[in-house]
Amino acid sequence: MGAVLLIAAKDLRQRLRDRSALVLCIVAPLAISFLMSSAFAGAEDLHVTVVVADEDGGEVAAALVAVLGSDELADLLTVEEATDRSAAAAAVDDGDADAGLVIPFGFSEAATGGGAAELEVLARSDRSLSASVVRSIAEGFYAEVEATRTAVGTALAVGAPLEDLEGLAARARAAPDALAVAAGELGGRELDLISYYAPGMAIFFALFAVGFTARSWWLEAAQGTLDRMRAAPIDPRAVLAGKVLSVFVYTVASLGTVAAATSFAFGAHWGPAPAVAAIVVAMAVAGTALTALVIALTRTEQQADGLASLLTFALALLGGSFIFVGTAPALLRRLAVATPNGWALRAITDLSTGAPASTAVTPVLAILAQSAAIAIAAAAIARRRAET
Amino acid sequence: MIVATVAATTLRRVARDRTGLFFMVLLPLLIIVLVGSSVSEADRVAVGVVDEGGGPLATELVDDLRQADSIEVRTFDDEDALRLALRRSELMAGVVIPASVEDEAAATRTVTVLSPPASTTGLAAEQAVRAALGRRAVVMTAAAFAADEAGGEPADHLAVAAALAEEAPPLQVRTSVGGESRTLPLGFSYSSSTMLVLFVFVNAVAGGATIVQNRQLGLYERMLAAPVSAGGVIAGETASYLLLALLQSLVIVGIGAVLFQVSWGDPLAAAALVVVWAAVGASAGMLAGTLARTPDQATSIGPMVGIAFGMLGGCMWPLEIVPPIMQTIGHLVPHGWAVDAWIELLSHDGGIGDVARHLAVLAGFAAVFGVVAGARLRRRLVA
Repeated sequence: MGAVLLIAAKDLRQRLRDRSALVLCIVAPLAISFLMSSAFAGAEDLHVTVVVADEDGGEVAAALVAVLGSDELADLLTVEEATDRSAAAAAVDDGDADAGLVIPFGFSEAATGGGAAELEVLARSDRSLSASVVRSIAEGFYAEVEATRTAVGTALAVGAPLEDLEGLAARARAAPDALAVAAGELGGRELDLISYYAPGMAIFFALFAVGFTARSWWLEAAQGTLDRMRAAPIDPRAVLAGKVLSVFVYTVASLGTVAAATSFAFGAHWGPAPAVAAIVVAMAVAGTALTALVIALTRTEQQADGLASLLTFALALLGGSFIFVGTAPALLRRLAVATPNGWALRAITDLSTGAPASTAVTPVLAILAQSAAIAIAAAAIARRRAET
Repeated sequence: MIVATVAATTLRRVARDRTGLFFMVLLPLLIIVLVGSSVSEADRVAVGVVDEGGGPLATELVDDLRQADSIEVRTFDDEDALRLALRRSELMAGVVIPASVEDEAAATRTVTVLSPPASTTGLAAEQAVRAALGRRAVVMTAAAFAADEAGGEPADHLAVAAALAEEAPPLQVRTSVGGESRTLPLGFSYSSSTMLVLFVFVNAVAGGATIVQNRQLGLYERMLAAPVSAGGVIAGETASYLLLALLQSLVIVGIGAVLFQVSWGDPLAAAALVVVWAAVGASAGMLAGTLARTPDQATSIGPMVGIAFGMLGGCMWPLEIVPPIMQTIGHLVPHGWAVDAWIELLSHDGGIGDVARHLAVLAGFAAVFGVVAGARLRRRLVA
């Protein structure tokens, strides 16, 4: 055991002297988290400036404009009025407004008479979200108009008296919805970009420890360092154990530092510390198993470099460090949890959005099981190679 | 001739390193396959549904959601699973239909829609759910109102209300981009092109390691011992880097177009953009190769710089969501210009004329990187 620790400590000292490892595992994820936090500073709340051209001038059109400018929507929308479509389009094109809404002539008449009502949303391709917000508000408004019209029409068709049409319409507007869609509380927090990409990038860069450790193994093999260690009275397995132990320490240090720094300085949410710590340790175990696998599969420094790069990028891509896995199809979501880092990232983001700490148990066990499978595969490959 | 020989030598060395080659071809392949398949349903919002009672109205409501063009329905057995999926953003909204929805005596029957707090995509999904259930709500409300006004049971008037609601044409909302009617670009093409920008650059910069190795191996000194000028060596290296970056781009563009029907916009403009971007990547890679002291530094700092530039330039999220100052900073790196050019091609159907300015700026970046890298390499070669 003493030899293992000695070798691990020597490896870590060597890593610390070569600054590129420090850069990769600590500076890089921190720098990138800093970039992200400045990119998203104050950008979490969408506010849309919408320019409205009311070419209709009717009652329903006025009601729509009033809804857009209502107090309830004031946090989301700022309404500016334009004389006509071309003025509105110009405002959108120039970037003075995020989106535009054109109410063409005949809108009010079609809305009250049950004709074909039309609206036009002016969008910028770089502000597509703004356009869809305006669009859904307009559609929501029109649904109300339709509801009143249909209620009045149905009442009249089945024999309601015709004399007080105004009163009937007023009562229809006030009538309770037979079917209501109520907004419920989801609870927890929304998964913001910084809380997704901070752990995503931290895990990606922590995986680089696999590469430089496997590479240093073959470099030491080529330089004869390994042979000299074997000449000492130590179990050859202790040499490998020492090497992979350094990956463990490195991963824990890297993920731990980045988790602490991004939580305190950049407002990332990683979830309850004990649960995150368990995931970090599990990821460190996965890192050591992956390192053993890379060493088992390769024979030279270059091969180790190539294979480790491939593994790092493939795992990071599959695990969701670059592509937001949540919104991907089911197959990709399943592939993501075929990787230890995919489990880790999902567990951390679950925790950060308010899942209880106990939900980390399954991911931790899954990562450890995957690590065990990788380590067994590595041992089997190494044994076969040793025999031939 | 000498240029070709130098370039061919470097390319042969790269080709002999089989893991390296594997990495070079397989990685872009993996990227495009992942990106291609990850956004195939981006035009529909995923909505989860829990039907707690399984009654007739609930079944009809689920059908209403299924029939909405903008909604992809995923059913869940219980509310906890639905909430977990919502927190993971696997769903944009969730609908809980309680057993009480079948209660005919209730004045208002309520279904609950859940969306992540303070989320605008959730807001849009919620609206889509309301729109999908809207027609049935209109009919049921109208029938109940008619029963109040004219007598009878709401159920008696459902058919009349439904006929009236059916008769009225739905609201048509056209979305126009830049004055011409056209659908908005969806995630698909956007992410393919931005991933192209991101990874060609990352790979090229990491590839600067080869130059460091060449320097360490004394390869350049040996080349110069032959009747080869320093300029020839530099030009040859540049050519080989450019070819490698182009090859990767072609893999991404080709596989994307053939397997996933990714649109890359106007062919001429797209080709120009791919070539200019390959030049930016190649020259940045050479610069990295002359700046790094060890191959380790090039391979470790390359991805970091590449990803940081990509984030700044809008490769990982659209720049529309960042503050103006960050948008400006995003255009201090070449990535912002490249992403803008792709948006121009893909969202505005732009041609080569529309991206001429972007191409010129990118060519400027390539030239600056190339000149600095060339000067540094030459100093090393001649000194």
